[in-house]
Amino acid sequence: MSILRLSHVEIRVPDLELATAYYSEVVGLLETAREAERVFMKCWDEHQHHSVVLTYAPTHGLNHFGFKVTDAADLDSYQARLEAAGVAVRRYEKGEWGPGHGQAIRFALPSGHEMELVHGMEQVGNLLPRTNPPPRPMGLVGMAPPRIDHIFLTAEEVDTVTAFLRDLLNFRLTEQVVGDDGFQIATWLEVSHTSHDIALITGPNSGLHHFAFWVDDWNDIRTAADTCAYHGVHIETNPTRHGVTRGQCLYFFDPCGNRNEVFTGGYWVDPDAEPTTWTEAEMGRALFYYDGVVNQRFLTVHT
Amino acid sequence: MGVLRLSHVDITVTDLDLACAYYTKVIGMVEVERTADSVYLKCWDEIDHHSLRLTYAPRVGFDLMSFKVEREDDLAEFENAVSRYGFPVQRISRGASVGQGESIRFDTPSGHPMELVRELEKVGGSLPKLNPRPFVFDASGSGGIAPPRMDHVLVTAEEVGESTRFYTSVLGFRITEQLLDGNGHQIGTWMERSHSPHDLAVVAGPNGGLHHFAFWLDDWDQVRSAADILAYNGISVDVGPTRHGITRGSTIYFFDPLGTRNEVFTGGYRPDPDFPTITWTEDNAGRAIFYYEGELNDRFMKVHT
Repeated sequence: MSILRLSHVEIRVPDLELATAYYSEVVGLLETAREAERVFMKCWDEHQHHSVVLTYAPTHGLNHFGFKVTDAADLDSYQARLEAAGVAVRRYEKGEWGPGHGQAIRFALPSGHEMELVHGMEQVGNLLPRTNPPPRPMGLVGMAPPRIDHIFLTAEEVDTVTAFLRDLLNFRLTEQVVGDDGFQIATWLEVSHTSHDIALITGPNSGLHHFAFWVDDWNDIRTAADTCAYHGVHIETNPTRHGVTRGQCLYFFDPCGNRNEVFTGGYWVDPDAEPTTWTEAEMGRALFYYDGVVNQRFLTVHT
Repeated sequence: MGVLRLSHVDITVTDLDLACAYYTKVIGMVEVERTADSVYLKCWDEIDHHSLRLTYAPRVGFDLMSFKVEREDDLAEFENAVSRYGFPVQRISRGASVGQGESIRFDTPSGHPMELVRELEKVGGSLPKLNPRPFVFDASGSGGIAPPRMDHVLVTAEEVGESTRFYTSVLGFRITEQLLDGNGHQIGTWMERSHSPHDLAVVAGPNGGLHHFAFWLDDWDQVRSAADILAYNGISVDVGPTRHGITRGSTIYFFDPLGTRNEVFTGGYRPDPDFPTITWTEDNAGRAIFYYEGELNDRFMKVHT
């Protein structure tokens, strides 16, 4: 029927052991499979086999990201639509790409990012029983976010990529920062009725700005900041508020230099909602509502 | 693409001015429109015309639950599906209902009048679409709770299983959780369309009954703040603040001044359509409903409108 939500990110790490230790003990993800050069992880409340894949590489950054589709037939219809638009599509059978992975199609965005649509990933269950479950497990480690939330990419031409996502993949625009020259500086798009599942900001093609984990409220954002500080993790932006999405957030870096976020808040959005626009003059408040300015690191560091 | 979410709940009240004062000053809804016998209200972040209709009647009760569908042709498809199920469907033409376009109406197996609607007049939220701040100051102008939106509705039915089959097989709802009695029969079901723990729930009770409808709050701090506001205004609190086992939500139940039960709700989880259903057994019904108390009070089980 459609694209549901962000399924997973595959990121590059030059030190697999260090990265695995960080994502399991500081962030609090669970390891579900391991190969010589890849570690597969998930958040505690996720039922699917993995939402974060760490792949050994000499550098950091994003290898690919995947969105989950409702039905297997969606892969065929999106493949046909992409190919009709001249986009090359590669097909993966179930389990072909990695342990627990589903059937998938892969293609490149106009910005060079490798994107996947996936169906039928192995269901491994969350940490709770299916009969009379408590509302959360005890003994979680680290920040312990229940699930992955969204991904934020950099692209030279935000307009072009935004149009691609809207026209070919049915993403809906919720918010945008429009420059004085009329071009989109940044855009936020959704398929899951949340404030955003994917966002783009002007920068180099193929770049990863960050990916974000959901936490349930502002108290959890503070706890995440405590956890970062305790473990000596580099916090980029203290607990604060976005103008765009209305979300509350904390930005920090994994030990390999990939930016992470924990995010909560936002709003429900109907498919017929009108997008919100921010002007270039208000971009500071759009991104960091309390500070009103965007620091240079946030604008220039990506992986 | 089917049912999107709860659109509005229509209830009857025996004192329209008192009810309206409560829903605007204490809850913090916005009055959008008023006719001779009805008041239409919405929450501050809702864009559509209304999410609650209050109508004067000599008796407090439930008039209608209305769900929003995504596409115009959904109405024709559901009209056929409900008719095939053997229930008469009424087409309500544009302009016949205040603030909304065409809709279809029918009774569910438990005798609840239900509506599906696609188009509602867009009156806009309380924030601008250009450079908006991320919050509102005192949306009610009176220190009310000011929930951003309506969340879900819970109705009572004699045959929970039969009702649930109707909502799932005819209207496409998905069961997230169920409460089973010792014989394995459903005595409560929680169903969703919006990737939340529930948009609609059914528990055993008289046909046609409304147990409560709920407003969304963003977090547990707001639930506490809501409790402060309710206590300050002398509102009768039924249960809470507490936590549900089912849905994992944090909650307070309370009554409007005329006796209709309200809830403020937050939390939960995001189920995919392939979410494996959670089952609660009757011996755990207390924890299922009120996780901290571990038991149900009689009022919660017996009072509905």
